[in-house]
Amino acid sequence: MDFLQERFPEAQIGALVNGDIEILVTKDEYLNVVKACLEAGYTYCSVVTAIDWKDRLTLIASLCRINPAEIDARNIHVKVDLPRTGAHVPSIAELCPGANFHERETYDMYGIRFDGHPNHRRILLPDNWQGGHPLLKDFIDKRPKRPRLVRHRYAE
Amino acid sequence: MEQTKELLVNMGPQHPSTHGVLRLMVKLDGETVTWCQPDVGYLHRCFEKLCESKTYPQVIPFTDRTDYAGPILHEMCFVEAAEKLFGEAITVPERAQYIRVLLAELQRIGSHLLAVGSMAMDIGAVTPFLYSWRDREKTYSLLERITGTRMLYNYFRIGGLRNDLPEGIIGSPNDGEDKSDQTFWGFVNYFDNYVMPQWDALVTGNRIFQWRTMGVGCLKSEDAIAYGASGPVLRGSGVKWDLRKNLPNSIYNRFEFDIPVGKENGDCFDRWLVRMEEMRQSSRIIKQCLQWLAENPGEVMGKVPRILKPPKGEVYHRVEAARGEVGCYLVSDGSPNPYKVKWRSPCFTHLQLMPKLCPGFKIADVVAILGSIDIVLGEVDR
Repeated sequence: MDFLQERFPEAQIGALVNGDIEILVTKDEYLNVVKACLEAGYTYCSVVTAIDWKDRLTLIASLCRINPAEIDARNIHVKVDLPRTGAHVPSIAELCPGANFHERETYDMYGIRFDGHPNHRRILLPDNWQGGHPLLKDFIDKRPKRPRLVRHRYAE
Repeated sequence: MEQTKELLVNMGPQHPSTHGVLRLMVKLDGETVTWCQPDVGYLHRCFEKLCESKTYPQVIPFTDRTDYAGPILHEMCFVEAAEKLFGEAITVPERAQYIRVLLAELQRIGSHLLAVGSMAMDIGAVTPFLYSWRDREKTYSLLERITGTRMLYNYFRIGGLRNDLPEGIIGSPNDGEDKSDQTFWGFVNYFDNYVMPQWDALVTGNRIFQWRTMGVGCLKSEDAIAYGASGPVLRGSGVKWDLRKNLPNSIYNRFEFDIPVGKENGDCFDRWLVRMEEMRQSSRIIKQCLQWLAENPGEVMGKVPRILKPPKGEVYHRVEAARGEVGCYLVSDGSPNPYKVKWRSPCFTHLQLMPKLCPGFKIADVVAILGSIDIVLGEVDR
């Protein structure tokens, strides 16, 4: 979108297969880009998720504009490249309340911390889960295996 | 002066009115709710991690099981996302597109019937719940004739459908109630002429029901947009946004239908009315599909390679499912397995509304609000 190109000239802007705009920014610019999108009317946060490429994580926040008169409006996906361990970004849950649960799920599954999130806990897994962050590609399930079929001594 | 203390009550994972295994922690001052927080994760089945070790056609049955009340719509989202990744290499035949829309709208009716029936039952009106099941059984019979199973279909394929409609399932436009579980026209006529007036007379116009739901759980339209609401929750708050019109996927731009909206500060009754009216509009779309399908035979599966390997890329495809906007963020790296599947579920996002909508109302209204948001835990937890 034009306003993104004007305000953040050093960010990389691309397009997804179905026409959505993606903008790759650094961690420091992330909050400013999101604020710029919110001011431009993209107030609906569709999803916050992350992709685990083997050498880095990419955080994705999708913002859309709900304008009943507009047909075929495209989303803006704000992407941030992060290290695989110890990553933390500012949270957009205060600005855009729809991102609250999605950020908790991204923390739960990928281990990205969101500074400033009002309720920073695991959401889908139990609160006392110690096994790590499951959707990372090097996740190993360390839960004890349950016995499957136990043959009784007196079975024929 | 004596003071009451706030009581923290657990509407625990096992509860007859929470539509599944949802835990709601509620702080009460007397009978008024002061704080409400949902706790989800009791039905987490590791859908997203599983998909990374399956091939693309093997993911389709899993997408069914996210929303078990209206599974075809979720299959549609995944299948269309994968087809978008392929781009020009796969064309879906037109007959397959029309059958997809036909089944999607039938499932939307079935899912809304379940939603309104459960909401009525939670509020106390136990009879309409069985009316929902009576009519859902008819959709199950129709779908069993087409796909082979009653509930979780695995019918859509990347590039088309598994098989064409059987002979005689469309019927003729003057089929009546006796054929309502054998032909589509029978079902549509029965639905429009008998079922909807019954619901209007028994529940929508019922004074007690209106007292329980009017003025309860009011949601302003800018809050609805900020909290990520979509589907009947967003439209019940006055925002005329429907992905079938504003961002049409398959061939929704060929059909004529209206979008019902509630008023600006939508309450539970508005969301109820939106669901009722959406069922009528879905039956209108079904009639248009049936007219086209009766005249246009054809094949239902496009040419696809034997092993599906989409080119490298990412796509975020959104579809209007029964409960809202379901999104599939699909990342492919050229191998037969998806690299990442993120399932954006509408009910998960709608549960964020519970802390906002419940405070100030009585504990019995929490059940009405939860019913009007209409959650299905399979979607919430995946």
